[in-house]
Amino acid sequence: MNDRKDREVRTDRLGMPVQAENYTASRPPGWQGQLGGCGIASCISLKGGRIDGDRIARMLTIMEERENGLGAGYACYGLFPERRDQYCLQFFFDDEEGKQAVEDFLDGRLDILHDEKVFLRERSTISPPYPLVWRYFANVPHAREWRGTRDLGEEDYLVELVQHINERVPKAFCVSSGKDMAVFKGNGYSYEIADLYDLGRYSGTMWLSHSRFPTNSPAWWAGAHPLSLLDWGVCHNGEITSYGVNRKLVEMNGYKCTVLTDTEVVTYLWDLLVRRNGLPTEVAAFVMAPSTFQEISLLPPAERRLAEWLRITYKEAFLNGPFSIIVGRSQPDISLIALADRKKLRPMIAGLSPNEEVAYCASEESAIRIVEPDARTWAPGAGNPFIAVAGKGIVRRGTEPSFQGVSL
Amino acid sequence: MSETPPTKRLDHRLPERFLPIVNYDLCRVCRRCVNDCSYQALEFRESKVVASGGCVACGRCIAICPANCIEIRPVPPQFAPHGNWSERSRRSILAQASSGGVLLSSCGADDEHPAIFDDLLLDAAQVTNPSIDPLREPVETVTYLGRRPGRLEVCDGKVMVREDDTPLIRMDMPLMFGHISLGSISYNAQQALFMAAKELNIVAGSGEGGLHPDFYQYADHICSEVASGRFGIKPEYLKEVAAVEIKIGQGAKPGHGGHLPGEKVTTMISETRMIPRGTDALSPYPHHDIYSIEDLAQLISVLKESTEYRLPVGVKIAAVHNVGAIASGIVRAGADFLTVDGFKGGTGAAPRVIRDHAGLPVEVAIAAVDRRLTQEGLRNRVTVCAGGGIRSSADMIKALALGADVVMVSTSAMVAMGCRVCQQCHRGLCSWGIATQRDDLTSRLDPNVAAARIVRLFRAWNEELKEVLGAMGIDAVESLVGNRDRLRYRGPNPKIAEVMNVKHIGEGWG
Repeated sequence: MNDRKDREVRTDRLGMPVQAENYTASRPPGWQGQLGGCGIASCISLKGGRIDGDRIARMLTIMEERENGLGAGYACYGLFPERRDQYCLQFFFDDEEGKQAVEDFLDGRLDILHDEKVFLRERSTISPPYPLVWRYFANVPHAREWRGTRDLGEEDYLVELVQHINERVPKAFCVSSGKDMAVFKGNGYSYEIADLYDLGRYSGTMWLSHSRFPTNSPAWWAGAHPLSLLDWGVCHNGEITSYGVNRKLVEMNGYKCTVLTDTEVVTYLWDLLVRRNGLPTEVAAFVMAPSTFQEISLLPPAERRLAEWLRITYKEAFLNGPFSIIVGRSQPDISLIALADRKKLRPMIAGLSPNEEVAYCASEESAIRIVEPDARTWAPGAGNPFIAVAGKGIVRRGTEPSFQGVSL
Repeated sequence: MSETPPTKRLDHRLPERFLPIVNYDLCRVCRRCVNDCSYQALEFRESKVVASGGCVACGRCIAICPANCIEIRPVPPQFAPHGNWSERSRRSILAQASSGGVLLSSCGADDEHPAIFDDLLLDAAQVTNPSIDPLREPVETVTYLGRRPGRLEVCDGKVMVREDDTPLIRMDMPLMFGHISLGSISYNAQQALFMAAKELNIVAGSGEGGLHPDFYQYADHICSEVASGRFGIKPEYLKEVAAVEIKIGQGAKPGHGGHLPGEKVTTMISETRMIPRGTDALSPYPHHDIYSIEDLAQLISVLKESTEYRLPVGVKIAAVHNVGAIASGIVRAGADFLTVDGFKGGTGAAPRVIRDHAGLPVEVAIAAVDRRLTQEGLRNRVTVCAGGGIRSSADMIKALALGADVVMVSTSAMVAMGCRVCQQCHRGLCSWGIATQRDDLTSRLDPNVAAARIVRLFRAWNEELKEVLGAMGIDAVESLVGNRDRLRYRGPNPKIAEVMNVKHIGEGWG
């Protein structure tokens, strides 16, 4: 611990010290979550082409007022075309001991086909300690015994394993666990994280990114965004005032809250509503940012009935308070969802390249213009999801009526 | 002069508790106070109005006096001071030694048990999230009461809505009136409650005394109660109302049934309850067909069958120490909603020993029920209603944040009508015409005026709820329900905070 005394004090844009303690995989003691403002940016190749990592880094770093060096991250989808059907589990370890514990735990529970160290530049301006970042490609075995034979589906089984590791296995944290995607995040400015992971070496169909302006809290690598479970990746700018209510719903459905942030709960809600309950994406977005009962009363009968019952049934999934989120999936298709709260108290702007091949969503227009000066941009409405799918294009611009295209 | 030795008479005699004082400089000797005092605590003697003993501080004389010349003074302690033998304990002993009976009282427990509500502080939004002004932007308080499906099924991308399976009541605010029976209160008082419930678009409990034929016009806003006495239960009592509730217990007297003295069983009460006139209406302590949870499940099924699954069927229990597990059993037995009535809940008549010493404060009970139902994955299937000593919109808001979907109020509605909480309901002499069946007294209460006062009170509470929601950065009440993160405890006993899963003041997050 003595070496910390000599460490250079990091400062933010205005020269103020920004950091108390730095934690990697292990949750900081007394950690109670985090809050603050954020910048989010994303891009997706609508034809399924590839976008390199430098592009997303430029988008994110231009929004410099939105971060103060206490966390940034990126998620890339369509990243492993050679191993598209394998799960990629990417971990932070505090040290070799954490790695060993995870490997012992996974032994016999997953069929690990390949593992590798994730490249980190050796010289970086980010203060140590750094985590050991490791990646495992795995298949879920046919025989899935976990706390007795429960005939769990592949994905539910993986969720249980990942949540167990994050809750119980010391010195280790699984930061992403989906197919054909991975998360690159840590404690630093957006440009530092891009540099640390050398994002330029990666390219993918879709990128999500997030930078953070926390108002307090220690710095925790694993707590940075994107938060991810299976192939879900969520970048979130906001403060959910209904967190206690939303958390109850995910916990009732078996999710274990280990990061203790609203973003984590948002991630689990997408998994619960869309993957497990099977709600169409637009419908899940309505559940999280619903219309008022007054607005609902003006809908045509079939839509009104659906809207009322969504609000009644899923009232614990209603995300109250200011937020804008960018959500990614790789299954069944690589998709980008952007959604702001129903009063649109946090910014969200969408854009499309002139050749209509790349779509963008970001907190600020500058993030889009820096990489696509001639993009056509528009503002998705309050509580109105933007949805783009690789290979299909923009499915929803975020300006349509609530249930357009939903079978009633 | 009586032959009785003076000492024997003196044994019975307790010092007065309240003394009405008349300012004779102002008194016009109109004698309205004397005529209006149903406790005969004032008399006209030698051209003056004087106190004649037995004042209960109901305040009727103060309100009726045109010269505004009466005040009621609490009589200072008349017993030698003693730290352990309080005046209250000595009075009880003396009264009981004289009567040899169980001491009765009414309204909620009146000991100075501090309310945990007063130890809770609410959160508000600053900078990191914006507060919302409910006068400029929508803040919703619409609340549904009944069973919820937990999830909607999806077939081929189509979300299936089966609304016939789960009848729900839509209310404009997260509030219901508790069960106050016709019998314990007057026709006019109950009519005022029903009129107010209709106007507010909420639900009012019928109480266990059946439903007067005149009140079926309010049936859409009435939750009829099936208590152990089964008074007044007939097909339309179950079928024509908004909801049906099985009463297992009441917060003021957990483990007891209803008590309505025969003096209050007038012709009207006898017809409504379907019992003989003048007989005591004492409902049994348990339902004699419910000795266990599976019996309750059967009664719930019977009621659902007989109402053709059109109505939510609920169960009301008194908050007792194991309330969490009991609540879980009730939900599993098929209840669509669950009402928890706390320790400080009101009553028209209850043994003092039970009222003051049995049960669980509603604050703790709500948190325990909410947590238990959440742990068991049941919380999003059922509506939790809770009440018992809700005195203000602040109490209501804190009850919501602790985990109640709907807050039940009774005493505050009666106070709005005129009740001064003098705790004499069991005597049937209510000078305000509320807790009485005497025609001369009930005629003092105009249901239209009383209903308007109740409506104004709870509209104001609902506005205050919106103000607080907005300040918290929440724009719909469901996002407050069970949101204990937005509460902090500042009381003397942090263990209470821990049990309720509420953080201590000074503990933030992030």
